[in-house]
Amino acid sequence: MFKDLDPLLHSQLRLSVISLLVGVKEAEFSFLKEKTGATAGNLSVQITKLSDAGYIEVTKSFRDNYPLTTCKITAKGLKAFEQYVNALKNYIHFNQSGS
Amino acid sequence: MENEKAFTENDSLAIISKMIKTAQQNFGDGSFYYIFWGWMVFIAAVANYVLLMTSYSYPTITWAILMPLGGIISGIYSYRHERGQKVTTYTDEIMRYVVIAFLGSLFTTLLMMPKLGAATYPIVLLIYAIWLFVSGGAIKFKPLVIGGIINWVAAVVCFYVNYEQQLLVISLAVLTGYIIPGYLLKARYKKQHAIN
Repeated sequence: MFKDLDPLLHSQLRLSVISLLVGVKEAEFSFLKEKTGATAGNLSVQITKLSDAGYIEVTKSFRDNYPLTTCKITAKGLKAFEQYVNALKNYIHFNQSGS
Repeated sequence: MENEKAFTENDSLAIISKMIKTAQQNFGDGSFYYIFWGWMVFIAAVANYVLLMTSYSYPTITWAILMPLGGIISGIYSYRHERGQKVTTYTDEIMRYVVIAFLGSLFTTLLMMPKLGAATYPIVLLIYAIWLFVSGGAIKFKPLVIGGIINWVAAVVCFYVNYEQQLLVISLAVLTGYIIPGYLLKARYKKQHAIN
């Protein structure tokens, strides 16, 4: 039987953000916006959800008097991502052996 | 982009693979330091050799002018460049420590020049070799790794030749270890950006 997919990660934009952050130390909001192609409003909402769950750490600062948001994956986020990938593997394996 | 209804498990896999690849491809243009320092050292070494041959009173003046000037210019470049960087990779983080170790070893060697004497330049080339080999490996760029190996060989050669010849070996070592790989790295960055 397969494990349930984490609903917080089983969303196109949130999964994109987490997948981007897995490979880097930290990334600015503008980088995530550029790579995911999302709107600033939608991205902001999804980042807040990930941050509230403790999956990412959001740092707000200023650069040249402009607000700067930097995101970083946490150990909890990394573990959730690994579990999501494992659940995904099980799910696909289950479907393949079932068909 | 939030379209959860049509979002399947296969889509998840596709997103993970695409995004991880995107983050990995995000190499910055790090060619500036190799090209800039390559030319600075090349000019200083060749000019030092020419001044020695023409019996000029201060043959090492090129080093005294170009090295501090180079330090100021690359310091300004580094400050501006890092401010504009939207993402920090783990490679960036490691490279920051490698740069500090490289500069620390280089300045220590140059400070110890009076004690090291004729061994100074070969040791400098050994430090260049470590820097080129490690940075080339970290950013997966073979010409820099080869440049590192060339600098190791050049260091050995330098131990056996006189001061004037050491200057020519250094200029050849930076040409093949820094300048050529630097331009190749710039070309790789441009090509990568043209694709993306």
